[in-house]
Amino acid sequence: MSDPSIKIVLKNVSKHFGKVRALDAVDITFAPGTLTTLLGPSGCGKTTLLRLVSGLEPASSGEIWFGDDNVTQLSATRRDVGMVFQSYALFPHMTVAQNVGYGLRVVKTPPDEIRRRVHEVLEMVAMDGFQRRYPDELSGGQQQRVAVARAMVLRPKVLLFDEPLSNIDSKLRRSMRDDIRRLQQASGITSIYVTHDQAEALAVSDEIIIMRSGAIEQQGPPQALYHRPETTFVANFIGESNVVDAELKGAGEDRQIVFGEAVVDVTADMPLTNRTGPVKLSLRPEVLEIKPMGDSASSQDLRGVVVQRAYMGPVIEYSIKTTVGELFTRVPAYAVQFTENDEIRVHIRPEDIIIIPENDRDHV
Amino acid sequence: MKIQTQRQPGEVSPWAVFSWLLMAITAYGLLPWTALEYGLGDFTAEEWGDALGWQHARPTLVLPILLTVLTPFAWIRLSGKISGWLWAVVSGLAIGALFVGFTITGTSMGLGAGTIIMSLAALLAIGAAEIGFQRGDTFIAGAVIFVVFMVAVFIFFPVWEIFRNVLVDKTGAFEPFQFFRIITSFGVGRVIGNTLVLAFTVGLATTLFGLVFALYAVRATTRIRYLIRVFYILPIITPPFVVGMSLILIFGRAGMVNDGLMFLLGPAGLLTPEGSPGLFERSGYIYGFLGIFLAQTLSLTPISYMVISGMLASINPAMEEASLTMRASRWGTLMNVTLPLIRPGIANAFLLGMISSAADFGNPLVLGGEYDVLSTEIYFSIAGAQLDFARAAALGIILLLLSLSIFYIQKKWIGKKSYVTVTGVETAGNVTPLPRGLQRGLTVFIVVWFLLVGLLYFSIFLGGFVKQWGADYTLTLSHHLELWSKGLGSGAWPSFLHSLSYALLAAPLTTLVGVLIAYILTRRKFIGRGIIDFGTVLIFAIPGTVIGVAYILAFNTAPIELTGTAVILIITMAIRAMPVGIRGGMSALSQISTNLEEASLLQRAGSLRTIRSVLLPLLKSTIVSSMAYSFIRAMTTVSAVIFLATAGTDVATTYILSRVESGDTGVAVAYGSVLIFTMLVFTLLVQFFLGRARTDKQVKTQ
Repeated sequence: MSDPSIKIVLKNVSKHFGKVRALDAVDITFAPGTLTTLLGPSGCGKTTLLRLVSGLEPASSGEIWFGDDNVTQLSATRRDVGMVFQSYALFPHMTVAQNVGYGLRVVKTPPDEIRRRVHEVLEMVAMDGFQRRYPDELSGGQQQRVAVARAMVLRPKVLLFDEPLSNIDSKLRRSMRDDIRRLQQASGITSIYVTHDQAEALAVSDEIIIMRSGAIEQQGPPQALYHRPETTFVANFIGESNVVDAELKGAGEDRQIVFGEAVVDVTADMPLTNRTGPVKLSLRPEVLEIKPMGDSASSQDLRGVVVQRAYMGPVIEYSIKTTVGELFTRVPAYAVQFTENDEIRVHIRPEDIIIIPENDRDHV
Repeated sequence: MKIQTQRQPGEVSPWAVFSWLLMAITAYGLLPWTALEYGLGDFTAEEWGDALGWQHARPTLVLPILLTVLTPFAWIRLSGKISGWLWAVVSGLAIGALFVGFTITGTSMGLGAGTIIMSLAALLAIGAAEIGFQRGDTFIAGAVIFVVFMVAVFIFFPVWEIFRNVLVDKTGAFEPFQFFRIITSFGVGRVIGNTLVLAFTVGLATTLFGLVFALYAVRATTRIRYLIRVFYILPIITPPFVVGMSLILIFGRAGMVNDGLMFLLGPAGLLTPEGSPGLFERSGYIYGFLGIFLAQTLSLTPISYMVISGMLASINPAMEEASLTMRASRWGTLMNVTLPLIRPGIANAFLLGMISSAADFGNPLVLGGEYDVLSTEIYFSIAGAQLDFARAAALGIILLLLSLSIFYIQKKWIGKKSYVTVTGVETAGNVTPLPRGLQRGLTVFIVVWFLLVGLLYFSIFLGGFVKQWGADYTLTLSHHLELWSKGLGSGAWPSFLHSLSYALLAAPLTTLVGVLIAYILTRRKFIGRGIIDFGTVLIFAIPGTVIGVAYILAFNTAPIELTGTAVILIITMAIRAMPVGIRGGMSALSQISTNLEEASLLQRAGSLRTIRSVLLPLLKSTIVSSMAYSFIRAMTTVSAVIFLATAGTDVATTYILSRVESGDTGVAVAYGSVLIFTMLVFTLLVQFFLGRARTDKQVKTQ
């Protein structure tokens, strides 16, 4: 078998429903063999984008390319795409074997080969032996595995996942997620995965595309998005974030970030604009250290008062009132503990400060 | 697997195009271009020959020549979308030219012309799909064009004919004020008033009684409530005028009640004092408002029951329990929580009752007496020697507008006001029973109602076995023998077999079109969808008598002359039963996730394959029950077919009515009871098999 991986390219693709612009002149390249996640709040256009790639919905304008083929005009039937639906969409009147073998029957495969390939793909999703069951005799997770098998059985060029785990209970979700990742990597099929769960996106993807109001907010590998968010929206959407106002001062070697009473020297690896003036910082809750007031103070600290404390098992979450606003922190339960109304200091290491380079786009 | 990038979306194989071309050319050569004098059932070879296109008129040869010239283009690919435009424009223009030609020359289309139009419509669909209509889906494009065509020819065109007939006088001259002259003429105001009063009171009564039955069926703790669940079958299987007939048997001049009162209080009655002329005279009180009101209330209450009980059953029990926990009594809960919650259902039932009462034709016909309503007045404007088509059309317009406006209120205003929330969350809790006193009162009421209904049906059954109701109650088989034992050529058999065969043809046709309409309305968006939407509203709202008048006006002349044929009766039955298919299809399709169809499309299956392998198996029980109920409706309908049935094509209902008119009540009720019994057996069989099919899990699709 030749290398199944192809590149998917969207060129200036728009989609509107009546007057509503669901997608606005989007340009994306999905690298061959990768799994890319479309992440965003509901209504951001991620499912629309997926449906445009599948061919189930026609694009209003722009072009969609699979490798060297322009597939914009092709209907879903001819696009060579496999898709796993949020609702599984297994045919209730067919057995597992009939469901998985459906596409093979449509393309007129000999019965023996249908049986062999159904067996093969069911084995991959650990559902071999369930051939004669009907979908309503399977658990949600089992149904989802069959749906994955059905999407892969025709060895499509593109695999699409539309929130495949949102109907599965949280304990099973992790193992299903890992299985999907493993199958995708083994097959090498270029895949697009839609979710609104940022933890799922971080765990499963080669690349993440954050979408907002029908446009792309930021695209990059999970680590880049987490550590170098380009907008406050991304900072808030991936992981949790305290976004605070700060000011860049000084010039040349002598540049500093000032927020509240804290003054931090700018280090070389910060993604810094040469700008001076107001910026926004993202402070992840887990990088904020809390120290008792009595400890040796540093100019990089903020003073604060514990407003609320919540015990979460391995970690304790504090809300702290400071001069730059209320900060949310998460510290290991083995660290020194504080109670409400304790006066404390919040310590931030310079390398943990994320400067958000762009001010938030104006959104309608 | 290679993507076939070369093929345009919507492109079909050249052979498909060629076969439609060939079909059209062959139809031109061999099938009658114009309608045969005596129809397709009775013709000579000579008539056939004369009706062929080239014999009839030389200019028509343009058509086959044009199609032959186009044949190579089935194989020649023109660049871009030009091929699509070619087929769409040429066949669209040809269809238009055919209709114009037949209309101008006043010729009626024959089978050949019909086949040619069908082939051209298929080519139009192929072309339109290639241009991009329905995203290049030829099958769906064809289905949409088919449905639009059917709705245009059999709904819009006849309705338009009604309006046209009101606007022109007998010589065909334009007369804009004819409508106002007719509706202001003597008597029309009273007829409209009568119709409205009847519709309003029947609406009120059926709603009240429907509510009683619904409360009882859903909330009572007695055993009779199970009986209610079967009682809604009765009006479905009973021809609409039969309840009226049974009322005559009981309450009529020669009915049991009059007889009994005469026996007790008449001139020689048991209780009449010696020498007195009698305290009682036979009375015809049942003829007129009271009789129609009773008959309609009895036969329409089950409809209102179904609407209200559906809504009552879907109330979340927790709301009523919440009320009870706040110290409200059962009465208080019923009045302040339950009834307000089902208010939309009650309003809906009221409007449905009004529409059905205004549209009812059978009961006013047999019970009307002096009390004339629109539906019968329309009939009497045409029936007999009157033939006042303009008057029938004008009254038809009024009835249609009345029905449409009520339907519009129902759809726009009440349709959106439902408090019933379907969350998918299992609702726990028990339904709150009725207050004890209320339940006792309702039990008495319902038992009386059932006894009355039982008495009515029993009198129908018995009436077929007595010599002369009211005069001679000797048991006899003569009515049934007259109907059923004189060979298949006389008695009831011809009309019964007509009914049966027409209904058997109409049922699949109406189900096919109905489910197709439901599919298009729930699944497809396109320009012109509004046409189908509005056509559907008309199908739902148009009263049978209006359909009857409209069809007579539309299909009695060129270009589509169908009156007197079986075809028009089958189509009428299909249109009358179509709401069943549309409603069933809509509710079934709304429960099937579109993801299933999308999953099938992504497995390389085309839309035809998807419908066949995924939708049809899932719609199976809907299709079967829709066919069954369409069949029953077709067998029992009377209002529209009475205008269109002729001596050669009379059906069971029109035959019975003709015997009622000639005074053969015994024969009529004998036939009626056999018809009811047949339908009952049929319904029970269908329900039995449907019930079994649902538990049968081993559905094989391959």
